[in-house]
Amino acid sequence: MSEKPSANPNDGELRIGVYICHCGSNIAGVIPPKDVVEFAEGLPDVVRATDTLYACADSGQRLIKEDIKKYKLNRVVVSACSVRMHEPTFRAAVAEAGLNPFLMEMANIREQCTWAHGHDRDGALQKAKDLTASAVAKVRFLTELDMINVPVTQKAMVIGGGVAGISASLDLAEQGIETILVEKEPTIGGVMAQLNKTFPTMDCSI
Amino acid sequence: MVDAARQPKIDVRAFTEVEKVEGFVGNFKVTLREKAKYVRADRCNGCGACTLACPVEVPNYFEMSLAPRKAAYVPMSQSVPLIYSIDMENCIQCYKCVDACGALEAIDFSQEDKLVEEDIGAIVVATGFSHFDPSVMEEYGYARYPNVITAMEMERLNNSAGPTSGDLIRPSDHESPKTLAFINCVGSRDKRYNPYCSNFCCMYSIKNAVLLKQMNPDVDITIYYMDIRTPSKGYEEFYDRAREMGIHFSQGRPSLITENPETHNLYVHAEDIALGRVTEKEYDMVMLNQAAIPQPDQNHMSSVLNVAQSPGGWFMEYHPKLRPIDSPTDGIFFAGACLGPKDIPSSVAQGSAAAARASRILHSEEWDIEPTVAVVWPDRCSAETKGRACGLCVKACPYGAVKLEGDKAAEIITAKCHGCGGCVAECPEDAITQLHYTDAQILAQMRALLAEKPEEKILAFRCHWCSYGGADLAGTSHFEYTANERGMKVMCSARMDSDFIYEAFRLGAGGVLYSGCHPQDCHYITGQVVGAKRASRLKKTFDRMGMTEGRFRIEWISAAEGDKYARVLNEMQDVLDNIPPEELHEEIERLKPEMSKRLKNFPGVPGVEEAMVYSDKLVKAITSQLEAK
Ligand SMILES: Cc1cc2nc3c(=O)[nH]c(=O)nc-3n(C[C@H](O)[C@H](O)[C@H](O)COP(=O)(O)OP(=O)(O)OC[C@H]3O[C@@H](n4cnc5c(N)ncnc54)[C@H](O)[C@@H]3O)c2cc1C
Ligand code: SF4
Ligand code: SF4
Ligand code: SF4
Repeated sequence: MSEKPSANPNDGELRIGVYICHCGSNIAGVIPPKDVVEFAEGLPDVVRATDTLYACADSGQRLIKEDIKKYKLNRVVVSACSVRMHEPTFRAAVAEAGLNPFLMEMANIREQCTWAHGHDRDGALQKAKDLTASAVAKVRFLTELDMINVPVTQKAMVIGGGVAGISASLDLAEQGIETILVEKEPTIGGVMAQLNKTFPTMDCSI
Repeated sequence: MVDAARQPKIDVRAFTEVEKVEGFVGNFKVTLREKAKYVRADRCNGCGACTLACPVEVPNYFEMSLAPRKAAYVPMSQSVPLIYSIDMENCIQCYKCVDACGALEAIDFSQEDKLVEEDIGAIVVATGFSHFDPSVMEEYGYARYPNVITAMEMERLNNSAGPTSGDLIRPSDHESPKTLAFINCVGSRDKRYNPYCSNFCCMYSIKNAVLLKQMNPDVDITIYYMDIRTPSKGYEEFYDRAREMGIHFSQGRPSLITENPETHNLYVHAEDIALGRVTEKEYDMVMLNQAAIPQPDQNHMSSVLNVAQSPGGWFMEYHPKLRPIDSPTDGIFFAGACLGPKDIPSSVAQGSAAAARASRILHSEEWDIEPTVAVVWPDRCSAETKGRACGLCVKACPYGAVKLEGDKAAEIITAKCHGCGGCVAECPEDAITQLHYTDAQILAQMRALLAEKPEEKILAFRCHWCSYGGADLAGTSHFEYTANERGMKVMCSARMDSDFIYEAFRLGAGGVLYSGCHPQDCHYITGQVVGAKRASRLKKTFDRMGMTEGRFRIEWISAAEGDKYARVLNEMQDVLDNIPPEELHEEIERLKPEMSKRLKNFPGVPGVEEAMVYSDKLVKAITSQLEAK
């Protein structure tokens, strides 16, 4: 699906790298990351598995980027936090190393594992292994993808003309952006316009 | 306010509501309802002659109904824009205003609401907050005792632009009060109403006390509080100053206010925690610092904008720490008190922050969106194989992104597809796939999760936006639930293919959770509806097969419902714990052929065969490692 060829193309041979994050003690305080590393090493096509104190930190990202070159990785699994937290981080990291960003998959072993099963360490460890295996299984079938480019209408809308909306509108307009400020009442100003003098400066509100 | 009106790049549309928001980042189509003002904006010069002429008086919302306005009106003299309107609900059609306006001919009774469409690249939502009505708290007598007022009423009464020109007077006898009590946390930090802290009332309580004391050093003011919260820069110093000025602070939430019916003076009953005794003091006037609450139309706006709400009803940020201004929808941002109570400095800062976030997009010619869209294998579509397209994909799509023409195979218009995956799961010929969420990828993941002791596992399908977020929140809040849960993520419940559920049970899963957004929160307009229909069909099938109740469960869980996610999983674990292992084993084995029967087309889906072969290898690798231990 991709126009740009990615580094280390998958010509039949899969080379998966797996990174197990400690997240300080957030993950490592509940499960031993090394056990998950050892488990991942035994999975098909995994050529590199290691743990890292903070995968998202510069050092963690550097490790992944260097490994992509050193081990000719063409798939990456990061077992760490939620995709809502760091998926963009790791996609960008692998892309910097020349790998298509959609060839990276995360396993959520923090929010959805160690944080939720703090009193069941064995259960959490087993689950962390399974989630990692499941991400390894998914990357096996990933294909290179490119983001879809859409055109942008360079015009803003601010809904609500209180002090927050007015501040946003002014900042947008002063950058030269056409801005429509929509207010449901007959006047803008919101609650602030109704106030007497306002803290902390005690000047008048309008 | 005036700056906004003067800025040539800002087009203020007052008295206007948002009807509909369609499209996606960079390409929103917003329908606005410009409400009829019955006054032509291009002709009204703001002279106010109509107001003078109008004989009708009604309460003015802007003055907290403490003062009247006319039916021909502006809410306040500094209104922006300064264009008058006729309030048709109260207008008696005497046409005196028309005469008064005279040659300007600005008044136009034939005006109607106008719907206008705007093309917009990014949206900032700053709809603010509303005020808790303390009359529901019987113990404080608001609305029964004239001299008990709210903080908003105080802001108008103590305001030189207000109805009394800034003279604070008692509503009962128009005398100036000598002794006042301010009561904090009214409807806030109170489990009966709103558990949260309203953030700014401690400070405005002190502010009003300082202002009154500055005007008249003889007034005696007591602030009843639970805790004084002054964490921002300079706020604690402000509090110190108030104490130095002789304003009294009494810790303890008042339990009751009673009134002397003759003088209309008030008795505040409270426990003074510092003195350790119950007090009862007489005041001329009492101000209630009512809680800040979400706007009455916030639920409605949340579905118009397709954004989520936090517990309590405020809008929900994408991530409270790292993306506090973003909504989950790319291109829509929040600012101010619509996210939760917040004072002016923070609201202004968030306004600027939202402008900065939005301008990243608005300064770009193009923007990237996720390529997780649907793609058709034309040779599998029934148009090719049976000479007639079934059209189920068209029905499933919330965006009209599937094109069916003549006898040609279905085609996805990529720019319109938002990637819910509904058409993919609905297609009876398995002729559609979704990039990054293919059947092969999902199957491989499932098989890995169910490699070991599947009967002990609960496979949980979650959608990206809501139930996956709910699971995250369960973890963030450290709500513990069974570690036998094994989570899968797709973008929308619409993508949760029946084949996946059959396959999970065929593999011997103890339980399967089918979860997504509540219908009103769905990120794909009606994706959830497509998913929910399929789920209830599956449930009926499993009931008919005699599957134990609770092994297959359907739950709609928002990103704010971490507690619910944990509870549902624990309840599913209880179901499994209550089936004797040999009975569960027997049931799983008995139902396997039923599942296989329904999966007869599954191996034919491109990629699935390969995924099966690979998964066997993976499962072997997993189990052999465990055996070695
Ligand atoms: C009694 C009181 C005293 C206060 N005193 C102070 C003070 O001294 N200092 C201080 O810093 N803070 C003070 N505050 C807090 C201050 O009012 C808020 O910080 C501020 O108003 C928040 O601004 P906002 O723009 O987010 O919301 P709002 O002021 O609520 O403005 C929201 C605007 O959006 C409009 N709107 C709502 N829904 C829609 C919709 N669907 N479509 C279009 N428009 C819509 C509303 O009509 C309104 O104009 C006080 C608050 C109260 C209650
Ligand atoms: S800001 Fe102060 S008065 Fe307001 S709810 Fe919080 S603690 Fe109570
Ligand atoms: S149903 Fe969903 S996945 Fe299919 S074309 Fe429409 S938006 Fe895209
Ligand atoms: S649902 Fe499938 S078979 Fe039916 S028209 Fe769409 S692509 Fe073709």
